[in-house]
Amino acid sequence: MKKIMDGNEAGAWAAKLANVQVIPNFPVTPQTELIETLAKWKVDGKFKGDFLDVESEHSVMSAAVASEATGVRTFTASSSQGLLLMHEVFYIASGMRLPIVMINVSRGLSAPITLWSDHNDILDQRDTGWMMFFTENNQEVIDLTLQAFKIAENHKVLLPCFVNLDGFILSYTREPVKIPTQKAVDKFLPKYKPVTYLDPKKPMNLGIPVMEGYMKFRLQQEAAMENALGLIKKTFKEWEKKFGRKYDVIERFMMDDAVIALVSVGAMTSTAKAAVLEARKKGIKVGLVKIVVYRPFPFKELEDALNDVVGIGVCDQNIAPGYGGIIYHDVRSLMYGYKRTINNYILGLGGKSVPKEKYVEIIEDLLESTTKVEGDKVMYIFD
Amino acid sequence: MLEVRFHGRGGAGVKTAAQLLGKAAFLSGFQTQDFSLYGAERRGAPVVSFTRIDKKKILERGYITKPDVVVILDDSLDFDRMLKGTDKMTLILVNTNRSHKLGLDKKENYICTDATTIALDIIGRPIPNTVMLGVLVKKLKGKIPFKNLEEAIEKKMKRYSEKIIEANKRAAKVGYGSIHG
Repeated sequence: MKKIMDGNEAGAWAAKLANVQVIPNFPVTPQTELIETLAKWKVDGKFKGDFLDVESEHSVMSAAVASEATGVRTFTASSSQGLLLMHEVFYIASGMRLPIVMINVSRGLSAPITLWSDHNDILDQRDTGWMMFFTENNQEVIDLTLQAFKIAENHKVLLPCFVNLDGFILSYTREPVKIPTQKAVDKFLPKYKPVTYLDPKKPMNLGIPVMEGYMKFRLQQEAAMENALGLIKKTFKEWEKKFGRKYDVIERFMMDDAVIALVSVGAMTSTAKAAVLEARKKGIKVGLVKIVVYRPFPFKELEDALNDVVGIGVCDQNIAPGYGGIIYHDVRSLMYGYKRTINNYILGLGGKSVPKEKYVEIIEDLLESTTKVEGDKVMYIFD
Repeated sequence: MLEVRFHGRGGAGVKTAAQLLGKAAFLSGFQTQDFSLYGAERRGAPVVSFTRIDKKKILERGYITKPDVVVILDDSLDFDRMLKGTDKMTLILVNTNRSHKLGLDKKENYICTDATTIALDIIGRPIPNTVMLGVLVKKLKGKIPFKNLEEAIEKKMKRYSEKIIEANKRAAKVGYGSIHG
């Protein structure tokens, strides 16, 4: 079935199709229509999972940990400040190896206030031990969330996973989306089978003090991330075979003969792609690499994609004040030794609009930089 | 690609207008994208919404800076701001009952419609969006058949009473009939 829907509804469809059993949630701002939609379906009898309304996002994630620990498929969603309030508990979820899947509707952080998209909220969770997928359009929201459950719940992975969708620019944007059938999804994503779970008949402790053993646990998480990378690719292939839509840990766009390339994540990548096509009309051999899976970080794939170009422009919709764009530094350290021109374009903070023409200017600027010797630079795309 | 930008105030159906146009275009076989920009929701505050329509997959996202069509649902807002990025080729549809006073009646690319009065007559509420969409669909010269706008109204407004849906369809029809294509 093809339907026009916004990103919030796409996220709700994914949770419904995944037959999630429990949705702990904080229903107040900055919660989104994603949870509201699921709640309405629940009232209408279209969704069978249970809701657990709690008093804050910190409690939401705590409840999600408890719920998932009993062996049921658990999902939640939040945004911006709400995501930050969950931060402490994210480590507990990943440390206990609980494959919770949650959608973050990315929005700028206070102060001052914006309601629009920005990646500082999700990137603040970078080191929490969760897998992290970025979506470019509402189709990817459904597809990647469903795949996230399958990957997270695999017994060689057992890690929680974020699926990030950009506030407004996806969450409130309606576009055509193909909804897979329940039957096909059930076949792809069968009922969750936990390795172990809390059961009053067989009492057990989770997350206990281990002192000496701590490092071993952390290294197991690292190994699970490594397993995840292979499994993500395998799952993407299976999805493609069943549903006909191709995914990879990174996406290469017009990269075959590219001399320079943009690196982008999230929904603004679409506009950047339009600019790539526009710049190509002007004769600039530019391509684009989109990071789909940010944790585990696709080192090899990204390096393979970028080592043929002479100039790389990393577009960061985030800022680490005093350091610059977060993904810029990832790419720079990855490409250490290649002696490429690597520029940082910090843009779209708090949802500041970046039209196609602006991306074309970025491409032209990057091309010009490759002919100069002064080294890499950081640019703030403002007006 | 056809890019349409709607301006108005919260409560006037600005967001719904973009959604209805998107839906009508989708039903007509186009790729579509619609979205709105606003702050914390409140009635009366300026709201801007957007619809992109194309035969092929739409890549551009975000604010439409160079619209093909601007639909102004409220003539008390700042025109300089609403007309940003437009030129003589841009089709500008204005809901107003004072086109002469605003000096809009002599401009070739403007179509002025007293949509609020029409809406009050037919729907009983000052929500001019469906009237203006009728005008716009007529100007698109068959690209979006009028019946698809009607279907979009039916689907989008299904949570309202039959009476309200019918009134909105009639309002759109009056808008559609108010100009020569």
